[in-house]
Amino acid sequence: MARYSILVVEDEHTLRRLLEYRLSKQYHVRTAANGEEALERINEEIPDLIISDIMMPKMDGFALQAELQQHKDTRAIPFIFLTAKADEQSRLKGMRTGVDDYITKPFDIEQLLSRIDRLLERTKIFQEQLDARIGQDFSRKLMPKTLPQVQNYRVVFHNSPLEHGGGDLFDWTEPEPGVFFFTIGDVMGKGLQAKFYAFSFLAYVRTTLHAMLQDSKSPAELMRRVNRVLMQDEFMQETFASLLIMRWDPATHQITYANAGHCRPVLVAPQGTEVVAYSDMVLGLDMNAEFQDTNLTMPPGSALLTYTDGLIEQHLIGGQMVGEQGILDMAPRALGSHEPIDALLNTVLQRSPENEFSDDILVFWLERQV
Amino acid sequence: MSFVLEPTSDQESVIVRIGKALDFRNAAEFKTVCQEKVREGARNFILDFSETGILDSTGLGSIFSLYRQVSPLNGQVVFASVSRPVQVVVQLTRTYKVFRQFPTVEAAQEALT
Repeated sequence: MARYSILVVEDEHTLRRLLEYRLSKQYHVRTAANGEEALERINEEIPDLIISDIMMPKMDGFALQAELQQHKDTRAIPFIFLTAKADEQSRLKGMRTGVDDYITKPFDIEQLLSRIDRLLERTKIFQEQLDARIGQDFSRKLMPKTLPQVQNYRVVFHNSPLEHGGGDLFDWTEPEPGVFFFTIGDVMGKGLQAKFYAFSFLAYVRTTLHAMLQDSKSPAELMRRVNRVLMQDEFMQETFASLLIMRWDPATHQITYANAGHCRPVLVAPQGTEVVAYSDMVLGLDMNAEFQDTNLTMPPGSALLTYTDGLIEQHLIGGQMVGEQGILDMAPRALGSHEPIDALLNTVLQRSPENEFSDDILVFWLERQV
Repeated sequence: MSFVLEPTSDQESVIVRIGKALDFRNAAEFKTVCQEKVREGARNFILDFSETGILDSTGLGSIFSLYRQVSPLNGQVVFASVSRPVQVVVQLTRTYKVFRQFPTVEAAQEALT
Protein backbone atom coordinates (compact mmCIF):
# COMPACT_ATOMS: atom_id res chain seq x y z
CA MET A 1 0.00 0.00 0.00
CA ALA A 2 1.12 3.54 -0.74
CA ARG A 3 2.41 5.52 2.24
CA TYR A 4 0.32 8.29 3.72
CA SER A 5 1.53 11.78 2.97
CA ILE A 6 1.91 14.42 5.67
CA LEU A 7 2.50 18.14 5.27
CA VAL A 8 4.51 19.79 8.06
CA VAL A 9 4.06 23.57 8.32
CA GLU A 10 6.57 25.13 10.73
CA ASP A 11 8.65 28.31 10.50
CA GLU A 12 11.36 27.21 12.87
CA HIS A 13 13.98 25.48 10.77
CA THR A 14 15.30 23.01 13.38
CA LEU A 15 11.90 21.78 14.47
CA ARG A 16 10.77 21.45 10.85
CA ARG A 17 13.81 19.31 10.02
CA LEU A 18 13.33 17.22 13.18
CA LEU A 19 9.70 16.50 12.36
CA GLU A 20 10.57 15.71 8.77
CA TYR A 21 13.25 13.28 9.94
CA ARG A 22 11.09 11.49 12.51
CA LEU A 23 7.95 11.25 10.39
CA SER A 24 9.78 10.15 7.24
CA LYS A 25 10.33 6.74 8.78
CA GLN A 26 6.63 6.01 8.35
CA TYR A 27 5.17 8.62 6.06
CA HIS A 28 5.82 10.53 2.90
CA VAL A 29 6.63 13.99 4.32
CA ARG A 30 6.65 17.41 2.67
CA THR A 31 7.35 20.68 4.46
CA ALA A 32 6.46 24.36 4.30
CA ALA A 33 7.77 27.32 6.32
CA ASN A 34 4.49 29.26 6.49
CA GLY A 35 0.83 29.21 5.47
CA GLU A 36 1.46 30.56 1.99
CA GLU A 37 4.03 27.91 1.18
CA ALA A 38 1.68 25.31 2.64
CA LEU A 39 -1.07 26.33 0.22
CA GLU A 40 1.38 25.92 -2.66
CA ARG A 41 2.31 22.39 -1.49
CA ILE A 42 -1.38 21.51 -1.07
CA ASN A 43 -2.06 22.82 -4.54
CA GLU A 44 0.56 20.46 -5.97
CA GLU A 45 -0.84 17.48 -4.13
CA ILE A 46 -3.40 17.10 -1.38
CA PRO A 47 -1.82 15.55 1.72
CA ASP A 48 -3.51 12.95 3.92
CA LEU A 49 -2.81 15.00 7.05
CA ILE A 50 -1.46 18.43 8.00
CA ILE A 51 0.57 19.33 11.09
CA SER A 52 0.86 23.09 11.46
CA ASP A 53 2.37 25.67 13.78
CA ILE A 54 0.14 28.64 14.70
CA MET A 55 2.53 31.59 14.94
CA MET A 56 4.25 31.98 11.57
CA PRO A 57 5.24 34.93 9.35
CA LYS A 58 3.25 35.80 6.19
CA MET A 59 0.28 33.52 6.83
CA ASP A 60 -0.27 32.01 10.26
CA GLY A 61 -1.85 28.67 11.18
CA PHE A 62 -5.33 30.08 11.81
CA ALA A 63 -5.35 31.82 8.43
CA LEU A 64 -4.17 28.65 6.72
CA GLN A 65 -6.84 26.61 8.45
CA ALA A 66 -9.52 29.15 7.55
CA GLU A 67 -8.40 29.10 3.92
CA LEU A 68 -8.58 25.30 3.78
CA GLN A 69 -12.12 25.43 5.19
CA GLN A 70 -13.18 27.46 2.14
CA HIS A 71 -12.70 24.62 -0.33
CA LYS A 72 -14.37 21.27 -0.34
CA ASP A 73 -11.22 19.46 -1.55
CA THR A 74 -9.25 20.60 1.48
CA ARG A 75 -11.91 21.03 4.15
CA ALA A 76 -11.74 17.46 5.39
CA ILE A 77 -7.96 17.01 5.59
CA PRO A 78 -7.12 15.96 9.18
CA PHE A 79 -5.41 18.94 10.82
CA ILE A 80 -3.21 19.02 13.92
CA PHE A 81 -2.07 22.29 15.50
CA LEU A 82 1.36 22.21 17.02
CA THR A 83 2.22 25.29 19.02
CA ALA A 84 3.90 26.92 21.97
CA LYS A 85 0.72 28.82 22.67
CA ALA A 86 -0.52 26.77 25.58
CA ASP A 87 -3.20 29.25 26.56
CA GLU A 88 -6.76 28.07 26.62
CA GLN A 89 -7.99 30.81 24.29
CA SER A 90 -6.08 29.79 21.18
CA ARG A 91 -6.85 26.19 21.95
CA LEU A 92 -10.56 26.95 21.94
CA LYS A 93 -10.23 29.06 18.81
CA GLY A 94 -8.49 26.17 17.10
CA MET A 95 -11.15 23.67 18.10
CA ARG A 96 -13.92 25.97 16.91
CA THR A 97 -12.48 26.25 13.43
CA GLY A 98 -12.47 22.52 12.78
CA VAL A 99 -9.03 21.50 13.95
CA ASP A 100 -8.88 17.80 14.77
CA ASP A 101 -6.17 17.86 17.38
CA TYR A 102 -3.97 20.25 19.26
CA ILE A 103 -0.52 19.57 20.68
CA THR A 104 1.50 22.07 22.70
CA LYS A 105 5.27 22.45 22.59
CA PRO A 106 7.40 21.04 24.04
CA PHE A 107 5.77 17.84 22.91
CA ASP A 108 6.50 14.16 23.14
CA ILE A 109 7.15 12.78 19.64
CA GLU A 110 5.60 9.41 20.54
CA GLN A 111 2.43 11.16 21.57
CA LEU A 112 2.36 13.05 18.28
CA LEU A 113 2.91 9.83 16.33
CA SER A 114 0.08 8.05 18.09
CA ARG A 115 -2.31 10.94 17.39
CA ILE A 116 -1.32 10.95 13.73
CA ASP A 117 -1.95 7.22 13.61
CA ARG A 118 -5.38 7.58 15.13
CA LEU A 119 -6.47 10.31 12.72
CA LEU A 120 -5.19 8.45 9.67
CA GLU A 121 -6.83 5.24 10.78
CA ARG A 122 -10.14 7.03 11.04
CA THR A 123 -9.79 8.24 7.44
CA LYS A 124 -8.91 4.72 6.33
CA ILE A 125 -11.93 3.21 8.03
CA PHE A 126 -14.25 5.75 6.41
CA GLN A 127 -12.72 4.95 3.03
CA GLU A 128 -13.09 1.20 3.50
CA GLN A 129 -16.68 1.51 4.62
CA LEU A 130 -17.47 3.63 1.60
CA ASP A 131 -15.73 1.18 -0.76
CA ALA A 132 -17.63 -1.72 0.78
CA ARG A 133 -20.92 0.12 0.37
CA ILE A 134 -20.28 0.97 -3.27
CA GLY A 135 -19.04 -2.60 -3.88
CA GLN A 136 -22.19 -4.11 -2.41
CA ASP A 137 -24.30 -1.76 -4.46
CA PHE A 138 -22.49 -2.81 -7.67
CA SER A 139 -22.75 -6.49 -6.72
CA ARG A 140 -26.49 -6.15 -6.29
CA LYS A 141 -26.86 -4.42 -9.65
CA LEU A 142 -24.83 -7.14 -11.38
CA MET A 143 -27.35 -9.76 -10.33
CA PRO A 144 -31.04 -10.14 -11.16
CA LYS A 145 -33.78 -9.72 -8.57
CA THR A 146 -36.10 -12.25 -10.17
CA LEU A 147 -35.79 -15.39 -12.29
CA PRO A 148 -37.90 -16.75 -15.16
CA GLN A 149 -40.89 -18.84 -14.10
CA VAL A 150 -41.46 -21.62 -16.59
CA GLN A 151 -43.66 -24.69 -16.32
CA ASN A 152 -41.83 -28.01 -15.96
CA TYR A 153 -38.57 -26.26 -15.24
CA ARG A 154 -36.76 -25.27 -12.07
CA VAL A 155 -34.59 -22.21 -12.32
CA VAL A 156 -32.26 -21.69 -9.36
CA PHE A 157 -29.55 -19.13 -8.87
CA HIS A 158 -27.04 -18.51 -6.11
CA ASN A 159 -24.57 -15.69 -5.68
CA SER A 160 -22.37 -14.87 -2.71
CA PRO A 161 -19.96 -12.06 -3.56
CA LEU A 162 -17.09 -11.32 -1.20
CA GLU A 163 -16.37 -7.78 -0.13
CA HIS A 164 -13.07 -7.83 -1.97
CA GLY A 165 -14.34 -10.07 -4.74
CA GLY A 166 -14.31 -9.58 -8.45
CA GLY A 167 -16.53 -8.87 -11.40
CA ASP A 168 -18.92 -11.80 -11.68
CA LEU A 169 -22.10 -10.98 -13.53
CA PHE A 170 -25.38 -12.66 -14.35
CA ASP A 171 -28.34 -11.37 -16.30
CA TRP A 172 -31.37 -12.64 -18.19
CA THR A 173 -33.99 -11.29 -20.53
CA GLU A 174 -37.10 -12.56 -22.30
CA PRO A 175 -36.92 -10.96 -25.76
CA GLU A 176 -39.96 -12.83 -27.05
CA PRO A 177 -42.60 -14.53 -24.92
CA GLY A 178 -41.30 -17.86 -23.68
CA VAL A 179 -37.73 -17.51 -25.02
CA PHE A 180 -34.90 -16.45 -22.73
CA PHE A 181 -31.33 -15.19 -23.01
CA PHE A 182 -28.95 -15.80 -20.10
CA THR A 183 -25.64 -14.01 -19.72
CA ILE A 184 -23.04 -15.29 -17.26
CA GLY A 185 -19.60 -13.78 -17.11
CA ASP A 186 -16.54 -12.74 -15.21
CA VAL A 187 -14.72 -9.49 -15.82
CA MET A 188 -11.10 -10.02 -14.89
CA GLY A 189 -9.64 -8.26 -11.89
CA LYS A 190 -10.45 -7.76 -8.26
CA GLY A 191 -12.14 -5.23 -6.05
CA LEU A 192 -14.17 -2.16 -6.74
CA GLN A 193 -12.49 -1.52 -10.08
CA ALA A 194 -13.45 -4.97 -11.43
CA LYS A 195 -17.01 -4.47 -10.23
CA PHE A 196 -17.17 -1.09 -11.92
CA TYR A 197 -15.90 -2.53 -15.21
CA ALA A 198 -18.27 -5.48 -14.90
CA PHE A 199 -21.10 -3.01 -14.46
CA SER A 200 -20.14 -1.04 -17.57
CA PHE A 201 -19.55 -4.26 -19.46
CA LEU A 202 -22.98 -5.60 -18.57
CA ALA A 203 -24.50 -2.36 -19.85
CA TYR A 204 -22.68 -2.94 -23.19
CA VAL A 205 -23.95 -6.51 -23.34
CA ARG A 206 -27.53 -5.44 -22.64
CA THR A 207 -27.47 -2.67 -25.25
CA THR A 208 -25.84 -4.90 -27.85
CA LEU A 209 -28.33 -7.69 -27.19
CA HIS A 210 -31.22 -5.31 -27.47
CA ALA A 211 -29.97 -3.89 -30.78
CA MET A 212 -29.08 -7.28 -32.19
CA LEU A 213 -32.37 -9.00 -31.52
CA GLN A 214 -33.87 -6.92 -34.34
CA ASP A 215 -32.02 -8.99 -36.91
CA SER A 216 -30.43 -12.02 -35.30
CA LYS A 217 -31.01 -14.56 -32.55
CA SER A 218 -27.53 -15.99 -32.47
CA PRO A 219 -25.51 -15.92 -29.21
CA ALA A 220 -22.33 -16.22 -31.30
CA GLU A 221 -23.25 -13.10 -33.27
CA LEU A 222 -23.87 -11.25 -30.02
CA MET A 223 -20.49 -12.44 -28.77
CA ARG A 224 -18.77 -11.13 -31.92
CA ARG A 225 -20.36 -7.71 -31.49
CA VAL A 226 -19.55 -7.45 -27.77
CA ASN A 227 -15.96 -8.46 -28.47
CA ARG A 228 -15.64 -5.80 -31.15
CA VAL A 229 -16.98 -3.17 -28.76
CA LEU A 230 -14.41 -4.21 -26.14
CA MET A 231 -11.59 -4.05 -28.68
CA GLN A 232 -12.55 -0.67 -30.13
CA ASP A 233 -13.67 1.31 -27.10
CA GLU A 234 -10.73 3.03 -25.48
CA PHE A 235 -12.50 3.21 -22.15
CA MET A 236 -12.83 -0.58 -22.05
CA GLN A 237 -9.32 -1.29 -23.34
CA GLU A 238 -8.13 -2.90 -20.13
CA THR A 239 -11.25 -5.00 -19.85
CA PHE A 240 -11.13 -8.73 -20.47
CA ALA A 241 -14.04 -10.97 -19.77
CA SER A 242 -15.17 -14.53 -20.05
CA LEU A 243 -18.76 -14.75 -21.11
CA LEU A 244 -21.35 -17.42 -21.68
CA ILE A 245 -24.51 -16.49 -23.58
CA MET A 246 -27.34 -18.99 -23.76
CA ARG A 247 -30.60 -18.81 -25.62
CA TRP A 248 -33.17 -21.07 -24.01
CA ASP A 249 -36.41 -22.19 -25.64
CA PRO A 250 -38.30 -24.20 -23.01
CA ALA A 251 -40.99 -25.25 -25.51
CA THR A 252 -38.47 -27.30 -27.51
CA HIS A 253 -36.03 -27.85 -24.59
CA GLN A 254 -33.32 -26.43 -26.82
CA ILE A 255 -30.38 -24.40 -25.64
CA THR A 256 -28.15 -22.55 -28.07
CA TYR A 257 -25.02 -21.13 -26.55
CA ALA A 258 -21.77 -19.39 -27.36
CA ASN A 259 -18.95 -19.54 -24.85
CA ALA A 260 -16.09 -17.02 -24.78
CA GLY A 261 -13.57 -18.70 -22.52
CA HIS A 262 -15.97 -19.04 -19.63
CA CYS A 263 -16.07 -22.04 -17.29
CA ARG A 264 -17.75 -24.73 -19.31
CA PRO A 265 -21.30 -25.72 -18.32
CA VAL A 266 -22.04 -29.22 -17.13
CA LEU A 267 -25.10 -31.18 -18.22
CA VAL A 268 -26.24 -33.39 -15.37
CA ALA A 269 -28.61 -36.07 -16.62
CA PRO A 270 -29.94 -39.36 -15.23
CA GLN A 271 -28.03 -41.07 -18.08
CA GLY A 272 -24.74 -39.46 -17.09
CA THR A 273 -22.95 -36.18 -16.53
CA GLU A 274 -20.86 -34.42 -19.13
CA VAL A 275 -19.04 -31.18 -19.80
CA VAL A 276 -20.65 -29.02 -22.46
CA ALA A 277 -17.36 -28.80 -24.20
CA TYR A 278 -17.27 -26.39 -27.08
CA SER A 279 -15.92 -22.93 -26.32
CA ASP A 280 -14.06 -20.05 -27.95
CA MET A 281 -11.63 -17.42 -26.77
CA VAL A 282 -12.03 -14.91 -23.96
CA LEU A 283 -13.32 -11.44 -24.96
CA GLY A 284 -11.07 -8.42 -25.39
CA LEU A 285 -7.99 -10.09 -26.88
CA ASP A 286 -8.50 -10.57 -30.59
CA MET A 287 -10.51 -8.30 -32.82
CA ASN A 288 -11.11 -11.09 -35.34
CA ALA A 289 -11.93 -13.83 -32.86
CA GLU A 290 -14.57 -16.22 -34.17
CA PHE A 291 -17.43 -17.53 -32.09
CA GLN A 292 -19.68 -20.44 -32.76
CA ASP A 293 -23.19 -21.42 -31.72
CA THR A 294 -23.70 -24.88 -30.27
CA ASN A 295 -27.07 -26.54 -29.71
CA LEU A 296 -28.05 -28.97 -27.02
CA THR A 297 -31.32 -30.53 -26.04
CA MET A 298 -32.15 -31.05 -22.40
CA PRO A 299 -33.42 -34.57 -21.68
CA PRO A 300 -36.22 -35.02 -19.10
CA GLY A 301 -34.85 -34.95 -15.57
CA SER A 302 -31.59 -33.26 -16.57
CA ALA A 303 -30.05 -30.04 -15.32
CA LEU A 304 -27.68 -27.57 -16.91
CA LEU A 305 -25.18 -26.25 -14.38
CA THR A 306 -23.26 -23.03 -15.06
CA TYR A 307 -20.89 -21.20 -12.71
CA THR A 308 -17.91 -18.87 -12.37
CA ASP A 309 -14.33 -19.77 -11.48
CA GLY A 310 -14.66 -19.29 -7.69
CA LEU A 311 -16.33 -22.69 -7.52
CA ILE A 312 -13.69 -24.70 -9.38
CA GLU A 313 -10.78 -22.84 -7.78
CA GLN A 314 -11.84 -23.80 -4.25
CA HIS A 315 -9.19 -26.02 -2.69
CA LEU A 316 -10.03 -29.50 -1.45
CA ILE A 317 -8.52 -31.56 1.33
CA GLY A 318 -5.35 -32.86 -0.26
CA GLY A 319 -4.52 -29.50 -1.84
CA GLN A 320 -5.95 -29.90 -5.33
CA MET A 321 -8.63 -27.56 -6.69
CA VAL A 322 -12.22 -28.67 -7.35
CA GLY A 323 -11.73 -28.28 -11.08
CA GLU A 324 -14.08 -29.45 -13.79
CA GLN A 325 -13.49 -33.01 -12.68
CA GLY A 326 -14.69 -32.19 -9.18
CA ILE A 327 -17.89 -30.72 -10.60
CA LEU A 328 -18.45 -33.84 -12.70
CA ASP A 329 -18.05 -35.96 -9.56
CA MET A 330 -20.18 -33.87 -7.23
CA ALA A 331 -22.96 -32.45 -9.41
CA PRO A 332 -24.91 -35.73 -9.91
CA ARG A 333 -25.61 -35.89 -6.15
CA ALA A 334 -27.42 -32.56 -6.40
CA LEU A 335 -29.80 -33.76 -9.11
CA GLY A 336 -33.29 -34.29 -7.69
CA SER A 337 -32.46 -32.44 -4.50
CA HIS A 338 -34.86 -29.83 -3.16
CA GLU A 339 -32.11 -27.23 -3.12
CA PRO A 340 -29.70 -28.46 -5.78
CA ILE A 341 -27.25 -25.55 -5.54
CA ASP A 342 -27.08 -25.73 -1.72
CA ALA A 343 -26.53 -29.46 -2.02
CA LEU A 344 -23.66 -28.96 -4.47
CA LEU A 345 -22.02 -26.19 -2.45
CA ASN A 346 -22.31 -28.20 0.76
CA THR A 347 -20.66 -31.19 -0.90
CA VAL A 348 -17.78 -28.98 -2.06
CA LEU A 349 -17.34 -27.45 1.41
CA GLN A 350 -17.43 -30.88 3.07
CA ARG A 351 -14.48 -31.88 0.92
CA SER A 352 -12.67 -28.61 1.50
CA PRO A 353 -10.45 -27.83 4.50
CA GLU A 354 -12.15 -24.41 4.75
CA ASN A 355 -15.59 -23.66 6.17
CA GLU A 356 -16.35 -21.13 3.50
CA PHE A 357 -15.49 -20.29 -0.07
CA SER A 358 -12.40 -18.21 -0.65
CA ASP A 359 -13.76 -16.43 -3.74
CA ASP A 360 -17.04 -15.14 -5.16
CA ILE A 361 -19.50 -17.93 -5.86
CA LEU A 362 -22.02 -17.74 -8.66
CA VAL A 363 -24.01 -20.81 -9.68
CA PHE A 364 -26.97 -21.14 -12.02
CA TRP A 365 -29.01 -24.32 -12.21
CA LEU A 366 -31.62 -24.97 -14.90
CA GLU A 367 -33.49 -28.23 -14.39
CA ARG A 368 -36.05 -29.86 -16.65
CA GLN A 369 -38.42 -31.87 -14.55
CA VAL A 370 -39.24 -35.47 -15.39
CA MET B 1 10.18 -8.54 -6.00
CA SER B 2 8.44 -11.64 -7.27
CA PHE B 3 9.52 -11.48 -10.91
CA VAL B 4 12.96 -12.00 -12.28
CA LEU B 5 13.60 -10.43 -15.66
CA GLU B 6 16.42 -11.55 -17.85
CA PRO B 7 17.55 -9.89 -21.03
CA THR B 8 18.37 -12.05 -24.04
CA SER B 9 21.01 -11.64 -26.71
CA ASP B 10 18.21 -10.22 -28.82
CA GLN B 11 17.53 -6.59 -27.78
CA GLU B 12 13.80 -6.89 -28.28
CA SER B 13 13.13 -10.00 -26.21
CA VAL B 14 12.85 -10.40 -22.45
CA ILE B 15 12.47 -13.52 -20.34
CA VAL B 16 10.15 -13.18 -17.34
CA ARG B 17 10.42 -15.90 -14.69
CA ILE B 18 6.92 -15.92 -13.26
CA GLY B 19 7.67 -17.76 -10.02
CA LYS B 20 5.14 -19.57 -7.84
CA ALA B 21 2.12 -17.41 -8.47
CA LEU B 22 0.71 -14.73 -10.72
CA ASP B 23 -2.53 -13.63 -9.09
CA PHE B 24 -4.43 -10.69 -7.60
CA ARG B 25 -1.60 -10.10 -5.13
CA ASN B 26 1.16 -9.41 -7.64
CA ALA B 27 -0.62 -8.79 -10.96
CA ALA B 28 -0.22 -5.01 -10.64
CA GLU B 29 3.51 -5.43 -10.09
CA PHE B 30 3.78 -7.69 -13.14
CA LYS B 31 2.04 -5.02 -15.22
CA THR B 32 4.33 -2.24 -14.00
CA VAL B 33 7.51 -4.24 -14.51
CA CYS B 34 6.55 -5.26 -18.04
CA GLN B 35 5.35 -1.76 -19.02
CA GLU B 36 8.73 -0.42 -18.00
CA LYS B 37 10.41 -2.96 -20.30
CA VAL B 38 8.15 -2.02 -23.19
CA ARG B 39 9.15 1.63 -22.69
CA GLU B 40 12.77 0.55 -22.82
CA GLY B 41 12.14 -1.10 -26.18
CA ALA B 42 11.23 -4.70 -25.39
CA ARG B 43 8.70 -6.20 -27.80
CA ASN B 44 8.72 -9.95 -27.17
CA PHE B 45 8.05 -11.47 -23.77
CA ILE B 46 8.87 -15.07 -22.94
CA LEU B 47 6.97 -16.05 -19.80
CA ASP B 48 8.57 -18.94 -17.95
CA PHE B 49 5.88 -20.86 -16.05
CA SER B 50 7.98 -23.81 -14.93
CA GLU B 51 7.53 -22.98 -11.22
CA THR B 52 4.01 -21.62 -11.40
CA GLY B 53 1.26 -23.24 -9.32
CA ILE B 54 -1.27 -20.41 -9.34
CA LEU B 55 -2.56 -18.29 -12.21
CA ASP B 56 -5.89 -16.65 -11.41
CA SER B 57 -8.09 -14.46 -13.57
CA THR B 58 -6.49 -11.23 -12.33
CA GLY B 59 -3.05 -12.62 -13.17
CA LEU B 60 -4.26 -13.72 -16.58
CA GLY B 61 -5.75 -10.25 -17.10
CA SER B 62 -2.33 -8.70 -16.54
CA ILE B 63 -0.84 -10.95 -19.25
CA PHE B 64 -3.68 -9.92 -21.57
CA SER B 65 -2.89 -6.24 -20.95
CA LEU B 66 0.71 -6.88 -21.90
CA TYR B 67 -0.45 -8.61 -25.06
CA ARG B 68 -2.73 -5.71 -25.98
CA GLN B 69 0.23 -3.40 -25.46
CA VAL B 70 2.83 -5.19 -27.59
CA SER B 71 0.72 -6.67 -30.37
CA PRO B 72 0.24 -3.32 -32.18
CA LEU B 73 4.07 -3.00 -32.08
CA ASN B 74 4.39 -6.41 -33.74
CA GLY B 75 5.49 -7.89 -30.42
CA GLN B 76 4.60 -11.30 -29.06
CA VAL B 77 3.89 -12.86 -25.70
CA VAL B 78 4.81 -16.54 -25.59
CA PHE B 79 4.57 -19.16 -22.86
CA ALA B 80 7.41 -21.52 -21.96
CA SER B 81 7.51 -24.63 -19.73
CA VAL B 82 3.81 -24.36 -19.03
CA SER B 83 2.93 -26.09 -15.75
CA ARG B 84 -0.25 -28.11 -15.34
CA PRO B 85 -2.26 -25.46 -13.39
CA VAL B 86 -1.38 -22.81 -15.97
CA GLN B 87 -2.32 -25.18 -18.81
CA VAL B 88 -5.78 -25.65 -17.24
CA VAL B 89 -6.43 -21.89 -17.26
CA VAL B 90 -5.15 -21.52 -20.81
CA GLN B 91 -7.40 -24.36 -21.96
CA LEU B 92 -10.43 -22.96 -20.19
CA THR B 93 -10.03 -19.49 -21.66
CA ARG B 94 -9.00 -20.81 -25.09
CA THR B 95 -6.09 -18.41 -25.15
CA TYR B 96 -3.62 -20.87 -26.68
CA LYS B 97 -4.81 -19.34 -29.94
CA VAL B 98 -3.03 -16.13 -28.96
CA PHE B 99 -0.12 -17.22 -26.79
CA ARG B 100 2.23 -19.64 -28.53
CA GLN B 101 3.64 -22.32 -26.24
CA PHE B 102 7.12 -23.79 -26.15
CA PRO B 103 8.51 -26.69 -24.12
CA THR B 104 11.46 -24.61 -22.89
CA VAL B 105 12.62 -21.01 -22.66
CA GLU B 106 15.46 -21.85 -25.07
CA ALA B 107 13.04 -23.18 -27.68
CA ALA B 108 10.99 -19.99 -27.34
CA GLN B 109 14.08 -17.83 -27.75
CA GLU B 110 15.09 -19.70 -30.86
CA ALA B 111 11.66 -19.29 -32.41
CA LEU B 112 11.61 -15.55 -31.71
CA THR B 113 14.95 -14.74 -33.31
